[in-house]
Amino acid sequence: MAEAKVAYKKPKTKITVFSVVNYIVFIILALIILIPMWKVLVDSFNAVGVYQFRLWPTDFTLDGYKVILGERGLLRPLINSFVTTIAGALLGLVLSTLGGYVLIQFDMPGRNLLAYFLLFTMIFSGGMIPEYLVMRRLGLLNNMWILVIKHGINVSNIVLMRNFFEGIPGSLYEAARIDGCTPMGIFVKIVLPLSKAALASIGLMFAVAVWNDYSTVQIYINSPDQVNFQYKLRVMIMDGDTPPTAYPISQTTLYNAGIIAAILPFMILYPFLQKYFVKGVNIGAVKE
Amino acid sequence: MSNNNTTMTSGTVQVRKKPLGLRIWNNRGHYIMFVPVFIFVLILNYWPMLGIRYAFMEYKAGGTPSWTGFTHFERMFSTSAFWSAFGNTLVLSLVKLFLTTFASVIVSVFLNEMGNLFVKKTLQTIIYLPHFMSWAVVASIFTLILSPSSTGMINGMLRDMGILGPNDSSIYFLADSKMWRPIFYMINIWKDTGWGTIIFLATLSGISPELYEAADIDGATRLQKIRYVTMPALANTIITVLILNLAKVMNLFESVFVLYNSAVYDVSDVIGTYIYRQTFMVARPDYGYSTAVGLFRSIVGCILVLICNKASNKVRGRGIV
Amino acid sequence: MKKKALSLLLASTMVVSLTACGGGDNETSSNSSSGNSNTASADKSGDTTSSDNTSGETNSGDYVLTDVKIMVNGTVNSVKQETEAQQTTRDAFIPQLEAAVGEAIGHEINIDFEVASHSDYAGYVGRMFVSEQYPDVMIMSADMLKQYETTGLLWDMANAYDNAEFQNRMKLPGINEGLKDAQGHLYGFAPTYGNGCITYIKQAWLDNLGINGDDIKTYDDFYNMLERFSKEDPDGNGVDGDTYGFISAGLIGTEAPWINYVAEFWQGAYPSIIQGEDGVWYDGFQAPEAKEALLRMQKAYQDGVIDPDSFTAGTKDAREKWYGAEQSGSAGVFTYWAGTWYQNLANNLEKNGVDNEVYELAPIKEITDTFGGYLNREAPVWVILDDGDGDDSREQAIFTAILDTMLDGDKVQTLWTYGPEGIAWSTEAEDFALYPDDPDKKKEYSYKDGEFHMRPGLEDPNVLAVKNHLDPALVIAPLTNGFVSSTDLQDVSNKFFTDHCVDAPSAPASETYSERSAEIIDARDVVIAEVVVNGGDVDAAMQKYTSSVGSLVDQILEELNSAQ
Repeated sequence: MAEAKVAYKKPKTKITVFSVVNYIVFIILALIILIPMWKVLVDSFNAVGVYQFRLWPTDFTLDGYKVILGERGLLRPLINSFVTTIAGALLGLVLSTLGGYVLIQFDMPGRNLLAYFLLFTMIFSGGMIPEYLVMRRLGLLNNMWILVIKHGINVSNIVLMRNFFEGIPGSLYEAARIDGCTPMGIFVKIVLPLSKAALASIGLMFAVAVWNDYSTVQIYINSPDQVNFQYKLRVMIMDGDTPPTAYPISQTTLYNAGIIAAILPFMILYPFLQKYFVKGVNIGAVKE
Repeated sequence: MSNNNTTMTSGTVQVRKKPLGLRIWNNRGHYIMFVPVFIFVLILNYWPMLGIRYAFMEYKAGGTPSWTGFTHFERMFSTSAFWSAFGNTLVLSLVKLFLTTFASVIVSVFLNEMGNLFVKKTLQTIIYLPHFMSWAVVASIFTLILSPSSTGMINGMLRDMGILGPNDSSIYFLADSKMWRPIFYMINIWKDTGWGTIIFLATLSGISPELYEAADIDGATRLQKIRYVTMPALANTIITVLILNLAKVMNLFESVFVLYNSAVYDVSDVIGTYIYRQTFMVARPDYGYSTAVGLFRSIVGCILVLICNKASNKVRGRGIV
Repeated sequence: MKKKALSLLLASTMVVSLTACGGGDNETSSNSSSGNSNTASADKSGDTTSSDNTSGETNSGDYVLTDVKIMVNGTVNSVKQETEAQQTTRDAFIPQLEAAVGEAIGHEINIDFEVASHSDYAGYVGRMFVSEQYPDVMIMSADMLKQYETTGLLWDMANAYDNAEFQNRMKLPGINEGLKDAQGHLYGFAPTYGNGCITYIKQAWLDNLGINGDDIKTYDDFYNMLERFSKEDPDGNGVDGDTYGFISAGLIGTEAPWINYVAEFWQGAYPSIIQGEDGVWYDGFQAPEAKEALLRMQKAYQDGVIDPDSFTAGTKDAREKWYGAEQSGSAGVFTYWAGTWYQNLANNLEKNGVDNEVYELAPIKEITDTFGGYLNREAPVWVILDDGDGDDSREQAIFTAILDTMLDGDKVQTLWTYGPEGIAWSTEAEDFALYPDDPDKKKEYSYKDGEFHMRPGLEDPNVLAVKNHLDPALVIAPLTNGFVSSTDLQDVSNKFFTDHCVDAPSAPASETYSERSAEIIDARDVVIAEVVVNGGDVDAAMQKYTSSVGSLVDQILEELNSAQ
């Protein structure tokens, strides 16, 4: 992880009151966050449904996770979630970097018009039924790719991306332009390599949005082999009077395991992305 | 693609003075780059917008839409529950927005000050975790913890600490008009603070080290550096985040939906949940009414964004885009 | 024809629909009468009906129905496809159904099932209709039927129903006669009763405190039991007072018949717009009984006999708390759906290692004196979509192929009742055991050749297979092949329920009500919360109710009463 080193070394930190307080506060904060999640984790390993808070499982089992990975009805949605999340994040990044980059071309005639063209959609929408009719025309009903398409375009993320790009010093473009680079060339060779932090954080935002989306599935998807995992999870947790699908294990164990399974990919992914956040858009050196 | 085109112009700064035609020609590559975005937005956002006309129609499944003029709006504006929901929407989402943004900024600034890289990374990973739990899950956990029954954790703790006497009845946090909003804000902070830090930490990592070095030379304390170097660098991002979220202020739904109940309608019912009950709890909804409320919601959101854009223009000299 | 008129008269009065649920004498008499009338009218209408199915030929006009698309919600278990086991069941069921139906109508038929698995079925149907995707035949809730009846989308099947083959075996004619509108149109067909809730008590808790469930006859008995459950130590963990008497999924339901989760407390009150015995509609929530009910719940809440979570608990929360592995903090009494759920509750108690014997409480005196029993909700129905070409032959063919055969008393009905042969049930000789490895829970079954029985479930081999759609105990025309699975709790509970139920009051059909009912429900729920949870003054709360929605309610009542 040598490359993850921060460019700027802070002066040798002495143990100050500040840092002690800082650490204590953060440890308390971490505990507040972890306690409720601990409950979920413990219950996911508990073979019997327990309502109360427990520090350790009373009857340890891995059945919850085994069912998720072994039962087609749960594994398929999990795979769908992975596929749509990756595709959605990629499409989202392509569109938001393109859009964001064009929006910083201040000398481009009609730039403002395009900006408003985008902004308008953040505020006005046709509503559920008209969107449903459009999706049907596009042949996206009962199709998990609707998750990718729907999340691929996100105006807020275009604006955020634009904000990041703005931080890249104009002198770099100029140099590239003099070298005869095309706009696409500048974009690929200069802008993108300098925006790793932005790509990582906004890419993560796209991924999370797709991964966590159940409402799109609820409205547009009915075939069981096209739904995603969050949707299955929500059905398990919120559904009222429909008799629970009888898996041979306790319902509580299963859905707690499901909650953990839904968090886990990002828990694993995050540390890998983290180095980009730390490294950042290290462009301070040329910034005026 | 015209990217291979070798004719490139050199001017950048002076470009504005050039004739329009030439400027368009010079930017042709940029227009082409915008085409995919344009097509997506046109199809996915603008095409459905034709449906806004249903706000002025009666539109039920199995019937043909018929014009009804402003009747949906008349019904909406004459209902006191609607106005209560409108007020709650503004209060809940604005307070929530400011609190979570504030918390995120504070947490990212202090996390940034953390010397030990391992601790810093671990903490970061922990605090962003709740974001990956859906609201349904979060609600089920907190309902359990806040339960007034003998199984409720918080009530049990209050009893153990003697704050609640043996004869006092338990506090029903989620069904008490005075408690509900603070609880709602706290749960929101719990869930989204960590996530909010991602964008701020990314910005912080972009701050030039020279600025800190210069401050060190001037003998600035840590808090002074936060005040004079870190915060100004964050200001731009904070404002952008706030304004972007303001556009969504009126969309508040899921978090309230999973936490509210009829005992606290007066402080918790928002437009999203109101419209849910009015249209989705009935066997055959009139989509016209929900479109009308949606339109009203958009107009309010639009006004909010315009105001903020103006404010942003005043403060920073430019709008959000 | 005289007998037909007689049976119609009988059926259209409330008498039949009420007694149909309780006694048996009336049913048999109307059974024979409609049987005769069927043949009589079939002769008359000739080609449009399928009176004679023994010939095995189709005579639904000249229309040959080769493909039919059916849309269902989660209540048709054999066509679900969420899990591998369900997929296997579905793959076996559909061909079996196609074969059996094909045999009945005399030609091949291709049946396509679409399962809207969402909890939001009405919303799903709405979206399908708006985008003009119509199935041929589908399930609707009673509430949805009321809404779509007037749209012209649904086919009037009154004639087809009256001449249906199953009229021969009709035991409970009241329910579909009740579905006909004032002009005699029948847009939805209910093959079974609606079902409702029963009050369940943990037998172990009764035993621990030495209470006999059969002694609980009045509200005072009931309340005493709840108090003892909450003050003493019914779960036997040595701690007094760490349990509750009662838990429910809300103090009022989210749909009609509102009071079924909390029947003992609401008793004779019906907190919605309801038609009085004199035929006049009134607001049951503003009636004095509702006020008394609120005060009863307020007291129970303050005495701590109701788990305070009940107010916000969803059905899932309440269930889980009731059958959770740790019984401290749990409750002894839980009112929930009869039938499948009795089995489900017992299974879940068992999975969590809790004593799984559950006592079914007969309605207390206050309930039998007012409504007469537990409320049976308005039944879900099957509807046929009218293609609007003015020709009924296609719709009639659908009715004959799907709805008429559904109650053929034999093969097709068996499939609709128990699911696919060889998977869910069998008549071949077979020995098996549930929980084969657990000596405490082990249950052995042994069947001879030709003996009908349910088989172990594909999903959970320790539980008998889930049945399909029709509840044998609730169906309007019973199976004639003698296939009964009398061993399991589902049937016990259905039997218990039908013995102790009355039909729920029917919902008002008023334009204003259907458009704005949510406002009234909101205001009502606020009153309940204010009085019961916050211990507020009942009169002041009711005052608020009348001032906010009083005029709206009056407007609806006027609409309803002037329509008569």
